[in-house]
Amino acid sequence: MKIFNMVLAGVGGQGILLAAEILGTAAVKEGFDVRVSEVHGMAQRGGAVVSMVRIGEKVFSPLILEGEADVILGFEPIETLRNAKYASEKTVIMVGDERIPPPVLTLKGESYPKMDVILERLKVFSEKIVTIEASKLAYEAGSPMVQNVVMLGALAAAGKTPIKKENFMEALRELLPAKYLNVNVKAFELGYQYIKSLSINF
Amino acid sequence: MPNPKSLLEDKPGKRVLLLGNEAIARGVLEAGIGVVTTYPGTPASEIGDTISAIAREAGIYMEYSVNEIVAVEVAGGAANCGVRALAAMKHVGLNVASDALITLAYVGVRGGMVVVTADDPECYSSQNEQDSRLYALLSNLPCLEPSNPQEAKDMTIYAAEISEKLELPVLLRTTTRVSHTRAPVVLGKISKPNLKGEFIRDPKHLVMVPANSRPRHDVLLQKVERAKETSEASPYNNVARRGKDKEYGVISSSSAYNYAVEALDLLELDFDVLKLGMTHPLPEKMIGQFLMEHDKVIVIEELEPYLELHVKATAKDLGLKTEIYGKIGHQYFLRSGELSPRKVLEGLLKITGKKPPISFESLDKKYNEAVKDLPLRPPILCAGCPHRASFYIIRKVAGEKAIYPTDIGCYALGFAPPLNVGDILICMGAGLGTAQGISKTTGAPTIAIIGDSTFFHAGVSRLLNAVYNKHRIVVAVLDNFTTAMTGHQPHPGTGVTGMQTATERIAIEKVAEGCGVKLVKVVNPFNFKEAEKALKEALAFPETSLVVFRAPCALLLLREKRQMGVEVIPFRVNEKCTNCLACIKLLGCPALALTEAKTVAINENLCVGCGLCAYVCPYKAIEQSKGSGGKTGENI
Repeated sequence: MKIFNMVLAGVGGQGILLAAEILGTAAVKEGFDVRVSEVHGMAQRGGAVVSMVRIGEKVFSPLILEGEADVILGFEPIETLRNAKYASEKTVIMVGDERIPPPVLTLKGESYPKMDVILERLKVFSEKIVTIEASKLAYEAGSPMVQNVVMLGALAAAGKTPIKKENFMEALRELLPAKYLNVNVKAFELGYQYIKSLSINF
Repeated sequence: MPNPKSLLEDKPGKRVLLLGNEAIARGVLEAGIGVVTTYPGTPASEIGDTISAIAREAGIYMEYSVNEIVAVEVAGGAANCGVRALAAMKHVGLNVASDALITLAYVGVRGGMVVVTADDPECYSSQNEQDSRLYALLSNLPCLEPSNPQEAKDMTIYAAEISEKLELPVLLRTTTRVSHTRAPVVLGKISKPNLKGEFIRDPKHLVMVPANSRPRHDVLLQKVERAKETSEASPYNNVARRGKDKEYGVISSSSAYNYAVEALDLLELDFDVLKLGMTHPLPEKMIGQFLMEHDKVIVIEELEPYLELHVKATAKDLGLKTEIYGKIGHQYFLRSGELSPRKVLEGLLKITGKKPPISFESLDKKYNEAVKDLPLRPPILCAGCPHRASFYIIRKVAGEKAIYPTDIGCYALGFAPPLNVGDILICMGAGLGTAQGISKTTGAPTIAIIGDSTFFHAGVSRLLNAVYNKHRIVVAVLDNFTTAMTGHQPHPGTGVTGMQTATERIAIEKVAEGCGVKLVKVVNPFNFKEAEKALKEALAFPETSLVVFRAPCALLLLREKRQMGVEVIPFRVNEKCTNCLACIKLLGCPALALTEAKTVAINENLCVGCGLCAYVCPYKAIEQSKGSGGKTGENI
C-alpha cells in the first residue's frame, strides 16, 4: 500500500493537534503504522499551525514531501492556501469556512481576502476542492469549539483515508473527556453527513 | 494519549500511539527511574508534564526545578545515592545546566542518570538552533539519538542501563521531530522504581578540588574508552539497510535517517545505510569498516556536521580515499534550519546526478505566485492576554525614548507591532542583565521585562547585581501565575509542586524586597490607572525598582471559567464607532478585525471580555454585550 499523506493546516487554537491525534489513534486501531507531526510552544500562540499525518504499512518520516499530499484538511482558508505546495492535481482540498483575519493584515487596515480569490488560487494546484460550513455545523452541534471534529467527520466521509468510520468513533471515545463526547460525536456526524449530502466523487 | 494515567497500564506488547515525549515518560516507568526533574521548554515539556500527572501513582519523585542546572544537580545528587534519575530540558536549558553537567562527568554516578536534551532545529519555539551533540564532545558523556518515539522509549531504558554500567550520566538527544511526533509504540514491562538512596562518603571521587579533579579527568577518559566498546556493540548502531549498489553508502542519525531512507526509496537508490543511534563516542571501527566497503559515503544529519567531521577523521586515520559528501565544502546539506524530505532529496539528487521525481522548480514558481501577497501569521499574544494590557501601559507611560530589554516567554511577542515593547532578547534572564549595561551607558530610562517563571529561573541573581551596583532600571515582572508558553507548568510563585501537591508560594515582591529593592509595587494591569501610576513612580525612582504586573494567564482563566460554567461575555462595537481604528492600531488583539466593509468588528469566538479595547477607545464605542447579533469567524 502506498503511504497515505495528509496535511492539517490552520491557526493555533483551532484544535488541529487534537484532530491529528484522533486521526493517528484511529490509524493505530486500524492496524497501520502512522506518524503525526506537531509543533508546540510559541508557534501555537495564534500563529499558523501545521500538522502532518502519514499512514501506511511502514512509515519513517513524519513530514511530507511537497506535492505528495492526498488530502489537505484546511481549518482556515488563508492557512489552507499557505500549504498548497503539498498539493498536486490529485489532492483533495477540504476547506473550513472559519476565517480568522491575521492581525498583521488588520493592523495594515486591510480586511480578509475574498473567499473566491483564495479558492481560485487553490484551484491552480487541484480542482478537487470542497468548502465545509464548519462554523455553522459546529454551532449546530452545540459549540463553536468543535469545528475540528466537524472537519474530521467530513474527512471520514470523503473516503480518502484508509480508516473506517467506526475507528474514528473509537478514537473520539478514547481521546475526549466524557462530558464533551456527545457534542463531538454530533459534530463528527454533521461533518460526515454534509459531505455525503454533496455526493461528490472525489 | 487519552489520559496520562493510561501510561501506567502494565501491558507489555500493547501498541499505543504516543508522542515522542510521552514515550520517554513511559521509558522512565520501564527503566525504574525514581527521580525525574525538569524545567519546561519546548520541545521537551511533555516529558515532565506526563510524569507529573502520574508520579504519585508510579511511586516516582518528580519536580519542576527552578531551572535546568538545579534539575541536573537534584538528579545528579539522587544518582550519586544509587537511585536512577532523569533530568529533561530543551537544548538551551542544557547551556544553563552545563556547568554542573561537565564536572558531574568527572564525579560520575552510581544510579543510572539520563539527561534529555531536546533540540529545536528551525527555532520553532527557541532563540537559537544549537546542536546539543557537541555537548557530548565537550563533556565526554555518552550520547544517544533516537529517530522515532519507539526508540525514544527504548533508548531511555538503554541510557539508564549504560549509565549505570559506565558510571556516567548519559545524554539522550532528541529533536522537535522526535519529541513532537506521534507514532505507535510497543510497550514493555514496568519496573518498580527504587527511591531509597544511600550516600557513601568518598571525597576523592566526589569532591572536585583540583587535586581530586586531575585524576578524575583521566578516569573519565578511561570511561570514554569503555564507552567506545559499548558503542561498537550497541544494538542502535548498525547497517539498518543493505543495498545492492555498493558504490555509495549513507551514514545518518535521528530524524535525518527517516528522510534519508524515504528519499532513497523514492529515487530507487539501493544503498547501504549505516544508522547511528549512539553518537558519542562513535563506533569508529564500525564506521571504518563501512568506509572501506564503499567508494563514496554520504553523511546525512541535521544541524552541525558532527558525524561528518568524525567520519572524515576516521577516513584520514585509516588512510582511506573514500569520498565523503555532507555539509562541509560543497554544502549538499545545510547546517542551518531543519531538514525535510525535500532538502534531503535535493542533496541526494545533487550528489548522485539523478533526475527529480517532480519538478520542484515549477512547483515553487506556482506556489510563490499563489502566496505572493498572502499575509503572514506569526504567533501573537492571545486575546485577553494580560501582557497586552501591561505592554500598552508600559509603552504609554515610558514611550519611545525608553529602552526595553526583554526575556524568554510568551511576552517576548510584545516586541512586535503595535505593542513594540522588546528591544533586545537573548536568553533566560538576559533582559535584566543587559538592561544594566544599557542603562549605565545610555542613561536612558530602561525597563527590563521578565515573566514570573523566568524571574525565578534566572532573574534573582541579576536583580541582586542591579541593586548592589545601583543600576537605575525598572524591572517589570509580568506575573501570570504560570509558565504559560510551555503549557502552564507550576513555578515557585504558583503554590503547586510537580507532585501536584500544595506548597507555600513564594511572592515575587517579597523576593525583590529581600534582594534590597527599595521601590516594589504590585499592580493588576487591568486596573489601568493604578498600573500607570505605579510605573510612573518606578521610573522616577533613582535606583533599581520593580513593578509586578499581576493577572492570570487568559488561557487559564478561560479554562477555569468554562469548567465552572461562568459565562464569558464578549465585547461588541456599537454605533458610536467612527472607525478611527485606535483599538486595532494600539493593541493588535486577534479578536479585533475589519469586515469586508472595513468597519471594526470583534470576533466573539475569540473575545474573552478583558475590556482593554473598550478602555483605549476614544469614543466609548466598545461595550460588553450579551445576546445574538455578534460577529464570528464566518461572517466577519
